[in-house]
Amino acid sequence: MIRPAGDIITTAEVGGAIADPRVDRMPGAATSGPPVIAVRGLTVSYGQKPVLRSVSFEVPAGRLVGVVGPNGAGKSTLLRALLGLIEPDSGSIRIAGLPIEQARNRLAYVPQTEAVDWDFPVTVFDVVLMGRYGRLGWFGRPGRSDRAAALNALELVSMSEFVDRHIRQLSGGQQQRVFIARALCQEADILLLDEPFAGVDAATEQAIFTLIGKLTAEGKTLIVVNHDLSVLDRFDLVMLLNQRVVAFGPTRDAVSDENLRRTYGGRLTLLERADTALQDKQVRP
Amino acid sequence: MTSLLAQLEFDWSQWLVPFSRQWGDETFCSVLVGVACGVLGCFVVLRRMALIGDALSHAILPGVVVSFMLTNRTEISYLFLGALFAGVMSAGLIKLVSQLSRTKEDSSIGIVFTAFFALGIILASSLPRGTHFDLKCFLFGDPLAVGPNDVLMMGIVAPAVIVTIFLVYHRLKIASFDPLVAATMGISVSTIHYLLMGMLSATVVAGLKTTGVILVVAMVITPASAAYQLCNRLWTMLILAGVFGAVSAAAGMSLAFITNSPTGPAMVIVATVLFALAMLLSPQHGLVLRAMRRRGMRRHVDSEDCLKAVYKLDESGMVGGALEVARQTGLSPARVESMLRSLRAERLIERKGLAATLTPAGRRQAAELVRAHRLWESYLAGEAGIDMDNIHAEAERLEHVHELADEVEEKLGFPRRDPHGEVIPSREGPAEART
Repeated sequence: MIRPAGDIITTAEVGGAIADPRVDRMPGAATSGPPVIAVRGLTVSYGQKPVLRSVSFEVPAGRLVGVVGPNGAGKSTLLRALLGLIEPDSGSIRIAGLPIEQARNRLAYVPQTEAVDWDFPVTVFDVVLMGRYGRLGWFGRPGRSDRAAALNALELVSMSEFVDRHIRQLSGGQQQRVFIARALCQEADILLLDEPFAGVDAATEQAIFTLIGKLTAEGKTLIVVNHDLSVLDRFDLVMLLNQRVVAFGPTRDAVSDENLRRTYGGRLTLLERADTALQDKQVRP
Repeated sequence: MTSLLAQLEFDWSQWLVPFSRQWGDETFCSVLVGVACGVLGCFVVLRRMALIGDALSHAILPGVVVSFMLTNRTEISYLFLGALFAGVMSAGLIKLVSQLSRTKEDSSIGIVFTAFFALGIILASSLPRGTHFDLKCFLFGDPLAVGPNDVLMMGIVAPAVIVTIFLVYHRLKIASFDPLVAATMGISVSTIHYLLMGMLSATVVAGLKTTGVILVVAMVITPASAAYQLCNRLWTMLILAGVFGAVSAAAGMSLAFITNSPTGPAMVIVATVLFALAMLLSPQHGLVLRAMRRRGMRRHVDSEDCLKAVYKLDESGMVGGALEVARQTGLSPARVESMLRSLRAERLIERKGLAATLTPAGRRQAAELVRAHRLWESYLAGEAGIDMDNIHAEAERLEHVHELADEVEEKLGFPRRDPHGEVIPSREGPAEART
């Protein structure tokens, strides 16, 4: 269920975040209930330059959320803030009602493939096992149960046969799945994916969406930062972000020509608008 | 620098007599430095901090000089705290400068370490003449100055570094591989950074007497880079880098004695040779093995071609001599002789007079090739829509991928004949295929 940002800030202030009372229960979503992520009035700036202005939104459990916006819109900043890596100027983030410091192990980050050092001497298993490191403490070593969890996570993403492969010897889709497995190994129920579809082919994209769909069906909440507007209809909820939340809600409501124009400003080329319009027609037959 | 070098007068042989006390101390110290530098170097290399390593080794100079001024001793243990302090402080300043200004990190490294180094030189030149400690010793190492106290100190520092790395291995690993995710797990990445910087400073100051500040960075980077060529696991890389570091140090000592040269440069040369060997011989990335693999593949393909030629000659009732096989395959007679020899060794063919005939195993394998060839021809002509004129040449290449033949056959719906009208042997063997 999507609610306006509540008592701290009104919908008007967040730039027209869409609060649609009709979408109390959405088809395809496994669970509904209190929000697992509640962000209120989040403002972040780097020096003098504001990156996020008074961002508020709530995400119920088990939803697949797509975050789109132009470069510099603050998408990565939003992810980093959700991960507790950035001290916001103001505003609050609650994960299942708790501040981030107390909810670290409920969140897991899946990095962009190009941000990973693929020459690092680690195997697939090593990477997935790293998902347990957060619980180990300074001198801890992963034990038998940790290894079992890592193998189990690899099983879930159907990568068991690649356990001892070096990460360089994987295809793009397999690399993506390894890092999703690590997030699963963290036993997090909120996964933040940074551009998982960057530079993958259509078949891989489909495979990742299948996996993602499986995860949301199991009640995991996924926030996916994304560049590609053509896949927006696959998300349960879409956030159009450009420093502020231009629109947030079920895809068919949030993604409109008007909202996209407001998100991308004048930068959206005619061609892109044509593509969006075409897609718009598909979304609303 | 050149004028500085000109002032130096080396006479190394006097203290390099093998198995003397001095030689023993020096070798022991160097090997410990080599191991510690090698292991630490892995993280320096993987975190792309090579420049910081270099900077750190220079930046400890003022710390060392001040320690010397205060204590008037040159043993490592007395210089240690000063070096550690200067090292960690410079690492902090480098971070600070790049964070507080628009200066990029590499520039900020350059600024900070040269400033520290300059300060150190000024301090060192203000020392009264005739003291034990001078720039020459600092820059190029001074193995003569290695004493029992230093041996003891190194005996503590190097194992301490190794044990620390062992204890926090997993944290170091994740903070180096994926600092962002480490941070989300609540692991303090900057603590890890300063821990590494601290250990590096400690090791570098220890290496100061054996290699000197200018070359000590090579002991950090080169053995680790050599190990990096050879390993796919972090822990094997750590062990190998430690071994390479120790070998460089020990072999460098011997080389220095043989060539009557300073020890530091000799160690660096040995380390570099190890690196070059690793680069050439690495199983995955090595130039030599890649060439050997290519050659092996070539041999494999040629021997399959020869086997098939013998099979065809046999099928058409002719006697397959080496020359005839050479004519059919287009290979040189010498090459064919060599291939036939290895086929005989594999018991795929046997000699019958001058000719070669197939053993049952050879017949099976040759039929497999023919089957693959004819299936690929059918595939190319049918599924891929390739011109009939070109399918034979292409199938000549593809037949060597006979492990895919079954899939091709299934995809094509188990054809009986190839596009040329020839019977495709069945998987079970050639016997019924020819009926």
